[in-house]
Amino acid sequence: MRRALRRHGTLSLLPLRRLRRQAVAACGGLLAVGLVTAGCGAAGANPGGDTPVGGGTVTYALQPNQTPDYIFPFTNGNAFTVANTDTFQFLMYRPLYWFGDRALPYLNEKYSVADPPVYHGQIVTFKLKKQYKWSNGTPVTAQDVLFWVHMQQAVGASDWGGYVPHEFPTNISSIRAIGQDEIKMVIVGRYSRLWFTDNELSQITPMPLYWDRTSATATSDCAQVVSDCAAVYNYLNGQSKNPGTWPGSPLWSIVDGPWKLVSYSAQQGLAFKFNAAYGGPAAKHHIRTFVERPFTSEEAEYNVLQAGGSNGLDVGYMPTVDAPVPPPGNQLGTNPVGGYKLQAVYVWGLSYFAYNFSSADPQLAVASQLYIRQAIQLLENQAAIIQGPLHGYGKVTAGPVGGYPPTKYLSPLAKRGDPYPYNPLEARTMLADHGWTVSPATGTLTCTDPGSGARQCGKGITRGTPLKLNMYYSTGTSWLESAVLQLKSNAAQVGINILVTGQTFDQVIAEVTGQACSSGKCPWELADWGLGWSYSPDYMPTGDELFQTGAAANLGQYTNARNDELIEQTLHNYSNADMWKWENFLTTQLPIGLQPNGVSALVESIGSLHIGTQSSTLSINPEEWYYVR
Amino acid sequence: MITYLVRRVLQALAVLVLVSILLFGMLWLLPGGPKQAILSGVHTSAGLAGVRRDYGLGSPAVLGYLSWLGQVLHGNLGYSYVENTSVSSLLAASLPRTLVLTLTATVLAIVVAIPVGLLQAARRGSATDHVIRGLSYVGYGMPSFFLGSILILVFAVREHMFGAEGPQQPGVVAMLTDWRDLTLPVVTLAVLTLAIFARYVRTAAIDSLAQDYIRTARAAGAGQPRVLSRHVLRNSLIPVITLAGLSIPRILAGALVVESLFNIEGMGWQLWQAALKHDFPVLLGFILVIGAGAVLGSLLADLGYAIADPRIRYVRT
Repeated sequence: MRRALRRHGTLSLLPLRRLRRQAVAACGGLLAVGLVTAGCGAAGANPGGDTPVGGGTVTYALQPNQTPDYIFPFTNGNAFTVANTDTFQFLMYRPLYWFGDRALPYLNEKYSVADPPVYHGQIVTFKLKKQYKWSNGTPVTAQDVLFWVHMQQAVGASDWGGYVPHEFPTNISSIRAIGQDEIKMVIVGRYSRLWFTDNELSQITPMPLYWDRTSATATSDCAQVVSDCAAVYNYLNGQSKNPGTWPGSPLWSIVDGPWKLVSYSAQQGLAFKFNAAYGGPAAKHHIRTFVERPFTSEEAEYNVLQAGGSNGLDVGYMPTVDAPVPPPGNQLGTNPVGGYKLQAVYVWGLSYFAYNFSSADPQLAVASQLYIRQAIQLLENQAAIIQGPLHGYGKVTAGPVGGYPPTKYLSPLAKRGDPYPYNPLEARTMLADHGWTVSPATGTLTCTDPGSGARQCGKGITRGTPLKLNMYYSTGTSWLESAVLQLKSNAAQVGINILVTGQTFDQVIAEVTGQACSSGKCPWELADWGLGWSYSPDYMPTGDELFQTGAAANLGQYTNARNDELIEQTLHNYSNADMWKWENFLTTQLPIGLQPNGVSALVESIGSLHIGTQSSTLSINPEEWYYVR
Repeated sequence: MITYLVRRVLQALAVLVLVSILLFGMLWLLPGGPKQAILSGVHTSAGLAGVRRDYGLGSPAVLGYLSWLGQVLHGNLGYSYVENTSVSSLLAASLPRTLVLTLTATVLAIVVAIPVGLLQAARRGSATDHVIRGLSYVGYGMPSFFLGSILILVFAVREHMFGAEGPQQPGVVAMLTDWRDLTLPVVTLAVLTLAIFARYVRTAAIDSLAQDYIRTARAAGAGQPRVLSRHVLRNSLIPVITLAGLSIPRILAGALVVESLFNIEGMGWQLWQAALKHDFPVLLGFILVIGAGAVLGSLLADLGYAIADPRIRYVRT
């Protein structure tokens, strides 16, 4: 969850910040290759002509309660949200490498500040593109990169929201500038080039040397001396407070991205003007002003979108509950909002619920049985969830790698669809074959044949043990609540008693990661905090952060030696075959419950505006948007 | 009257202190204590130092309370590490919006409810009374999200007569003059309040109309309009004053549903968000202000009674 979890910096496990809390996309439409395409299915839309018109303003709806509140791009875990990074900071401060190539979450060289890295053994070098300049006139240099990396080395473990223990920058032994625009790093250990670029270099955002200071008047030297960085960080973090002071700030007005913040109001929104000094790519007839408007609820946003008028939205979104069901074979239904084009955006991530493999779980013996997890998976009716509460806007999750958009990482087996299609009869048979019988008194399955044999309940399960599981789930996302209740109902039909407890996202995470799970009883067997995990800023979906033994985001504390071994292979010498091998293996082990990936946003863009296909990484490029007539 | 006023103000101040102790004590009693509650979202060493300063963490509870109270008395309600801004600035942004919305709705409701209630009392049992009573029940029973949604769909989305959201411009004057955006949320909120107020005014007026002094007034030749305006109205205001006084904390606390529906980041919406995010500094600061509002409302209601009914001010408690 990248950042996704971010807002919850309550966790000490930093990668948790990537746990996704809800649909966070701002705008985006995505679509998988060859599937949904921008604007398709927009019956009633007025696409206008095809002659670009220069200039203009776009008013863009932020997701409910997702107003950016942190501007310093070295973002701490508490502020590590899509709203702060992808739809705010990235507009002004460009990451070294940009990910999101139309719908696919791959490296996008066009929008990257540096040329692709070059690897020679364990040495990696990259050159900054010459056309990028800060808005104060100075070029973006290697020193700006050193500034960032040194800050990560100094305070990254405590203050960088994307920090992963034992990985970047711990896994480099040296970094230095070669001339003005080139960087050379020496990597500790052996990693695949793809992994190092997509999951490590992807974190870096060059920072202007003007920020290298400890007060408005005192400069520092964090770009050269790591020990100077903590004080610099404290100053910059302090300056990132009180958002009303950001516009016009001598610090934050120095940008290398295409947009400059000119006003900030929590109620009225944020206004950006195009940065005339921007050296990167932009549409020839791009818009000149970009306004992000906050909303208190999806309903409020949708009302404003539908009402239109002078206070209307140019880019907004439709709540899933209002979404038109697509006709068979189509990706989108008929757009009910006249004059707008509809896109469906699916985030690059993995949707799942966790099982608890912690020794602190009193029901560990039950959750540890593979056949029980398989039975539960057979009761998870992904197709019904997609067609029901998701109104057709969901994608099947088929394994430990996100299935949509369909990337090169997805195994051919996973591309075939749900590996455990809904089959309560098979689930019932599977449990009966392992010694479980429905108790006439309670209607719940109880173990009547304890033991470790192939057709017995399993190790640690005693006679009379009821098949009763506690599940925490996050309330607030209607389709997810429906999915959880549907699973409970389906399970009850075969005699599994799932006791569901709805809590806020924060509470679920606190339960899963809290003190009870490390020192005492950890009373949950299943936990669903929302939408699982989003791959950002680690865009390559290797399992080292989610499934490897001891990984910080391995919330269920799953451990499997074969799995660890296969993950290591994907890290050190990448090949699709290795990735697929790991993926197929773990699909059979079900360390997580697979659930549909619900649409992140149903984006509505006004017919006369061209915004193109939006990215599954949820970043946006309004400098590429233009009006047509 | 002055003695009465001073006594009530002193009582109000004592209650306020008790409210603050209660609030701070509740924070101390949270699982894990105030440190865990407040620091849950704090990731930086600078943040830790700020929290220790604002809430006196590390000190005994009494000293912590005095430290916090000192900060509050200096206008520092704490810092929201979730929203990355001071509680005072959140309050300054949301309170005017809520006041404009809820006060306008309350005033509108009172202005309409008093004549309506009097009319019902004067025509008790008539068709007019029955129709208005029926409408009151509908207004009272209709969920605000439903009424608001209907009003938006009809008057904003379809007819474009009003805006689909509340006023977005900063400043009380700008909001009050933005009648196009202010109308629907105010009407939505006023309907419920109006129905309640009208019912109370009707009941009080019916009681007044049965009093001897009304019979005397009529015997002296006073017509119905004069009876209602000069003799019944003042006595019928007692329950309205009570309701208005009790409404002050509600007015300050905002109207979560209406604010959420009409995109108004007011007190109610901010409080709800703070509760969801476990943003205790915001909860503490906002509830303190609302608690102060409750005490103030009670005080104003008491003073209102004394003005409306001179007998009250002479009663010693």
